[in-house]
Amino acid sequence: MLKYTKRITLGAVSALALASAASAGPYDEYQGETLIVNFPAHPHFDAVMKILPEFTAETGIEVEVDQLPYLKMRERQTLELAQDEGEYDLIAYVVFSKADYVYADQLENLARYFMNPKLADPAYDADDLIDGYVYNIGFAGGNKGYLEGKTGSLFGIPYGSETSILGYRTDIFDKHGLSVPETYGELLDVACRIPDLEPGMGGLSSRAASGHHASHAFLLHLAPLGGRIFDDQWNPIVNNAAGVEAANALKTIVDCGPEGAASFGFGEALGSFLNGDTAMFLDTTVVAGQINDPSKSKVVGKVGWALHPMGVRRGSQTGGFGIGIPSNAENKEAAFLLMQWLTSKKGDKLVALAGGNPSRFSTHADQDVNAKFPHMATFGEALKHADPDWRPIIPVWGKINADLGTTLSKVLTEDLDVQEALDGVAERTRAVMEEAGYYTWQ
Amino acid sequence: MCGPLPPDNHRSGKPVTAQTFNRMTPYLFLAPAAITMAIALLYPLGYMVYGSFRDWDPSQNISETDFVGLKNYITLFFDPAFRESLSVTLIFAFTVVVAEMVIGVGLALLLDRNIRGISVLRTLFILPMMIAPVVVGLMWRYMYHPTVGTFNKTLKSLGFDGVDWLGQHALLSVIIADIWQWTPFILILALAALQSLPASAIEAARIDGATAWQQIWHIKLPLMMPVLVVTALLRLIDAFKVLEVILVMTEGGPGLSTEIVALRISRTATEFRELGTAAAMSNYLLILLLILTLAMFAIGRLQDARTARLARQVQEEEG
Repeated sequence: MLKYTKRITLGAVSALALASAASAGPYDEYQGETLIVNFPAHPHFDAVMKILPEFTAETGIEVEVDQLPYLKMRERQTLELAQDEGEYDLIAYVVFSKADYVYADQLENLARYFMNPKLADPAYDADDLIDGYVYNIGFAGGNKGYLEGKTGSLFGIPYGSETSILGYRTDIFDKHGLSVPETYGELLDVACRIPDLEPGMGGLSSRAASGHHASHAFLLHLAPLGGRIFDDQWNPIVNNAAGVEAANALKTIVDCGPEGAASFGFGEALGSFLNGDTAMFLDTTVVAGQINDPSKSKVVGKVGWALHPMGVRRGSQTGGFGIGIPSNAENKEAAFLLMQWLTSKKGDKLVALAGGNPSRFSTHADQDVNAKFPHMATFGEALKHADPDWRPIIPVWGKINADLGTTLSKVLTEDLDVQEALDGVAERTRAVMEEAGYYTWQ
Repeated sequence: MCGPLPPDNHRSGKPVTAQTFNRMTPYLFLAPAAITMAIALLYPLGYMVYGSFRDWDPSQNISETDFVGLKNYITLFFDPAFRESLSVTLIFAFTVVVAEMVIGVGLALLLDRNIRGISVLRTLFILPMMIAPVVVGLMWRYMYHPTVGTFNKTLKSLGFDGVDWLGQHALLSVIIADIWQWTPFILILALAALQSLPASAIEAARIDGATAWQQIWHIKLPLMMPVLVVTALLRLIDAFKVLEVILVMTEGGPGLSTEIVALRISRTATEFRELGTAAAMSNYLLILLLILTLAMFAIGRLQDARTARLARQVQEEEG
């Protein structure tokens, strides 16, 4: 198992920190404690590793990081959180883990920490956190059980927010006098004109491989085109006109994409864009660092960024990670202090400057951050349109997602009829939901 | 463990007890091994069987789960995705084992001779099976890449169209990769079997004027058969459980076309978070493998019986 355990020990720095922390007030009680945290191996958390020594220097609290590939991280957390006494004081979790962890009572409700005057920083400014992400990643118990709402409360804080954004090759667009697509009609039109204008080049590289890749790509188009997986009564509506339009959009993109696009996972789709094989890329904002890195990219300086095109509405993805305190954590209060520090205005700016994904509006608008990363303003604008309900976050989603992804893969590779495919998904989804008890009140 | 008898028993003059104790001695010696086996083998197996009758989410301890009887097994039996997965597994396993046996035994027959550099050749041949499966998966995935992959680049440089290896021909592509990796396993076992054949039988055949082909068909292959049956069985069991290479190469796609049962079990446990169903699926696989193993041994027994019968007939005729 790939496992990277990195102990942030500071030596001389911690001695200095302990001295300076003597006047730090809120951290006094926790000086010398060691927090064990579980983070994914991910560009944002690689940036977090760079700023953790500053937290230790400021607070005297040491942090030991268990960094794992994110699917392994989830497996590890599943085992760890079910124990009576857990190893981790703070965990990063992917958004679809929220439903499982909260439902199993494995994450701390953050209310009692934010109510505690000794722990909660009055200057924290929670309103500055990006709304869609707080609801998507942090909230549970509200509308539909997983969104904001009067019955909901906070179990985690977004950290490493990502949304979808359109990257395009400025040189190719300039050469052929193409306009940057703002609507889905324009996007599909340009995507299919590129292979004619630039022989050998694909229009847009998308993930499309069987399973969650195909499902993710479809969902990217479903929300802006006005679709949803369920209506408000949990009836599957993935097979309605918007669903069919989204699946057709995905098929068009793959057909006009680079060679072999139907078997592309995220890595291949990004690799294809980095290699200069496609003119556009529509996926997560987390790729910006790699696109601007000359050691990984052949398109440095040739990529412009635009908002995820509109269908009948704006609706870019909400993804990335949140951080939360496990119910079986040993050092919960110190963990909260770390969580608060990381997601504070200062911590968010530090991680953004270190190459991470900020979670605050103010960081996206910050001059220093924009001077270093000029795309940040566009990303901040995109985050305003991030749709927290672009996919359902319910415990049975894993099964539905897999079925959707494998069925769409058949549409892309075996020419299965789109309507027939989505009708099948809707029927099987209804059975899964029925068994999970979602129709008990109907 | 088997020291002198307790004085009470000795004094009471009950020889039966002493005999019982003596009879127990071998069992006492066997006990540590039996206990270890029970803990290491039967406990996990029993846990899996127990779990397969429960509605079990990974966030729960098994004690918190609900008993659902045979529901997991029945649901799976009627689940088209599981049945597709099972059929993919059967096609994959039988194809790779037949192809590997033919190529592996063929290569062994070719290499079973004294030629210069044979040991180097043998080492080269067995290299693929020494490579970690994840690396094999990655390597083949990049070789199959539609634009930058070795195969399509070569095809295009020769003026042919590229092939959509992991799209249109995904199952064939993973079968080729498996054959590449595991044929050496058959090769080394077949070679060992060939080299242990009695030289006298082959010598006698040659003196009788048997051609090389007749020697292979009538002498070498029948004598190698017991080893080949076990080798095929081992490969078959392994082929049913293969996971990493396919996971890395195709993740089961496109559609479910390469989603073998081991991969579906893994996805059911981690993505769908249905440990009970995953356990039931594992038990189906276990039962299938048990049937295959018993069938292979039964074939072996039948062959032995046939050989013994023929030998008896020859003896009777000679007598």
